[in-house]
Amino acid sequence: MSETTQQVIELLKKEIHGIDDVVIKKVYTEEGNVTVIYISSLVEKMTVQSMIFIPLANHIRQILRVAESVDIKNIEIVLQKLNAGHTLLFFHQLNQLRTIDTYSAPTRSITNTETESTVIGPQDAFTESLETNISLVKRRIQNPLLKTEIRTVGTETNIKISIMYMDNIVNKENLENLRERIDNIDYPYFTDISELKQLIEDNPLSPFPQYYMSVRPDSVSQYLIDGRIVLFMDNSQAAVVCPTSFFEMFISIEDYYNRWSTASLLRMLRFFGFFLTIMITPMYISALTFHPEILPYELLLNLQESRSKVPFPPIIEVLFIELIIEVLREAGSRMPAKVGQTIGIVGGIVIGTAAVEAGLLSNILIVLVATSALLSFLPPIFLMSNTSRFVRYIFILSAGFFGLFGQMLAFAWLINHLQNLKSLGTPYMTPFIPRKATDLLDGVIRFPTKYLMAKKGISRAQKK
Amino acid sequence: MSTNNKKLLNAYHVVFLTQSIMIGTGILSLPQKLSSLGYNQTFMPLLFGVIASVTLWPMIWIGSKYPDANLYRINEILLGKWLGKTINFFFILQFLVFSAGIISNYMHLIQSTALPEQTITLPVICFLLLLIYIVSGGIKSIARFCMMTFFITIGMMFFTSWAFQKGEMSHFLPLFNFTGGEFYEAMKKGYLSILGYELIMFYYPYIVQQKKAYKHTLIGIWISIFVCFITTAISVMYYSEWQLKNIEFSVLNLFKAGEFSFVERIDIIGITLWVFLILSSVAAYLWCAKKGVDSLVVKNSNAYLYILAIIIFFVVKMPLSRNFQDKLFTASNYVGYMFIIWPLLLVILYVLRKKKQVQS
Repeated sequence: MSETTQQVIELLKKEIHGIDDVVIKKVYTEEGNVTVIYISSLVEKMTVQSMIFIPLANHIRQILRVAESVDIKNIEIVLQKLNAGHTLLFFHQLNQLRTIDTYSAPTRSITNTETESTVIGPQDAFTESLETNISLVKRRIQNPLLKTEIRTVGTETNIKISIMYMDNIVNKENLENLRERIDNIDYPYFTDISELKQLIEDNPLSPFPQYYMSVRPDSVSQYLIDGRIVLFMDNSQAAVVCPTSFFEMFISIEDYYNRWSTASLLRMLRFFGFFLTIMITPMYISALTFHPEILPYELLLNLQESRSKVPFPPIIEVLFIELIIEVLREAGSRMPAKVGQTIGIVGGIVIGTAAVEAGLLSNILIVLVATSALLSFLPPIFLMSNTSRFVRYIFILSAGFFGLFGQMLAFAWLINHLQNLKSLGTPYMTPFIPRKATDLLDGVIRFPTKYLMAKKGISRAQKK
Repeated sequence: MSTNNKKLLNAYHVVFLTQSIMIGTGILSLPQKLSSLGYNQTFMPLLFGVIASVTLWPMIWIGSKYPDANLYRINEILLGKWLGKTINFFFILQFLVFSAGIISNYMHLIQSTALPEQTITLPVICFLLLLIYIVSGGIKSIARFCMMTFFITIGMMFFTSWAFQKGEMSHFLPLFNFTGGEFYEAMKKGYLSILGYELIMFYYPYIVQQKKAYKHTLIGIWISIFVCFITTAISVMYYSEWQLKNIEFSVLNLFKAGEFSFVERIDIIGITLWVFLILSSVAAYLWCAKKGVDSLVVKNSNAYLYILAIIIFFVVKMPLSRNFQDKLFTASNYVGYMFIIWPLLLVILYVLRKKKQVQS
């Protein structure tokens, strides 16, 4: 028996002390004793049987030919391999260490997307496994120019991430920029890619998401073809697309599957819906508090009659019901599914009927708030719908202070904020900044498919 | 934020920067200011456009001689350090008072239409905070804001369509029916409304295509002139001569002619949306003032921006009579004409200097 292997094994045993799911087995083979070490929670029994033990017993030469050889003295690499799900094979007689990748932790299968479902189009969604996600994209883009860079992030967790891009289309400056940002991250652990996304965003203080996040392989592939860079992370379902423009937050991949007329209609609804949802309830406050004269007489009468019993000023009334809606929404998403229905009914009845009958709220306001709550769910990106919730409060407060003037001030703030936002160094407000005329073809109105070949302005794709 | 040679503004930026700075509160009362001409005022904006195009030329010319220097720097070069700095100081004061004048006008208008029960103190503070936010982004950010402003506010032209329908075309005729005195009066008062293009002298060093700057600025000027022209034309069609003379903010009253089944008093929406136009103009003036301070002091700092904003606030809210304020703002308006003539002076100085150099 060789000294070195034995020493290394002893050293290794000290290092893995306390990791009780490590399996250490001694096997007697034609090539002398072999110590097999693996972590049982990362490696399936079947795999280790068929890949290690059966060949060891029957054709050991085959293993020696296939298995990767590792420097036996480099204990750090050895430990890393072990933790990544490799099986270590110490050949005592040959004084060698070989490893075989047997990583076979259980993953879930590919299922439908629940957060970004569409009626038409492919229904598969990413899972939490990096390999599965990459394969889902590679199935759609069968091109050797689709590059996949794998890196590890997180000083404590060593999670794998993958940077994907089309080598012939992507803007190299963007790519360099992104690599640099990822390299500069000093963050101990990542449990989801959204944490990574927040760390590499241009303006972390802004309420607006600056990168697109999706769990749909089809929309991710489409962005790749447009010259964007896509980030995947092991153990997280979503992929991050960068750079992305503000307007693209309102585009669903289904728009391209629908006919152009339907798609344009839906896009208009989503895009203007965003501005409506932040404007409707503030409008109510301004109109009733400061400028009742802008409403026609009949409408004003109607409004005043409905809130004749309400003892609060409009701003309190609006904040009250907006917060209740917020509570309902939050409760609804946290409740166990079986209790959720009850909450829906209670909330609906309490707010819809009882509050009005009690004279706490006006009927018309409930209609407006419900509409704006529904409108806020129109953007296909949930992050954007969260943003619209937040921004709405800014508008509500400013309308409460200065009426329409306050609303316009807030709107000017919004415009100035948006136009100064950048996504991976590229301005966020296409087609205004950066200007590209062809972007208009795929703007609020989606032109028929044959006109949509041009790359978007924001991706700053390489010129052919 | 120093006066370095960073080229930031491309063609679109120059066009919309020029365009949006020109349109401020002036256009709201343009028909009244031109009212000494009565119905003949329709084509005055076009004349103003011609004058602006001509007076723009020396500005661009002097700029092209010093492609990396703004007007403050040029003053120092041509007039000597101390005289130049003194004049720069007066420029800054002028910009501050001028901006304060715009803000004060607009805020009082807001107070009388949209916020009748409040003092303007808090709105002015919010306005200035937003202004600082816009200006601190630099000239490019202002230019972008101007561009967005154009696209957001151009829709207001639609509000005048009712006035157009109700108007009377025959008011345009006869064409030239006024005396020289009336013409001078209209000229003196009305030309203020299109001031703003002179700021090109301050952002000229940041323009990428400086050779084409004249063309781009002209496009911007003529977009504004066209808007002014439509305003005066529709006002002439819609109002009587007495109304033209006595309605101060005639554009707002044009909006009042509008009728939707669900909104009355479109003028309130119009005047509050106008904040975009005011912000874009004042932001540019404040930026110029900030540049001036940068040229006077050794150390550049964003703190000066806050100080300037505070000065504007005190000018707007100064504890003096409204009468005095009005006089001050009117005076600063007329001083604004100085910027039209100033480049001519500089051109002459430049030419004299060149001759001297050649002789010696």
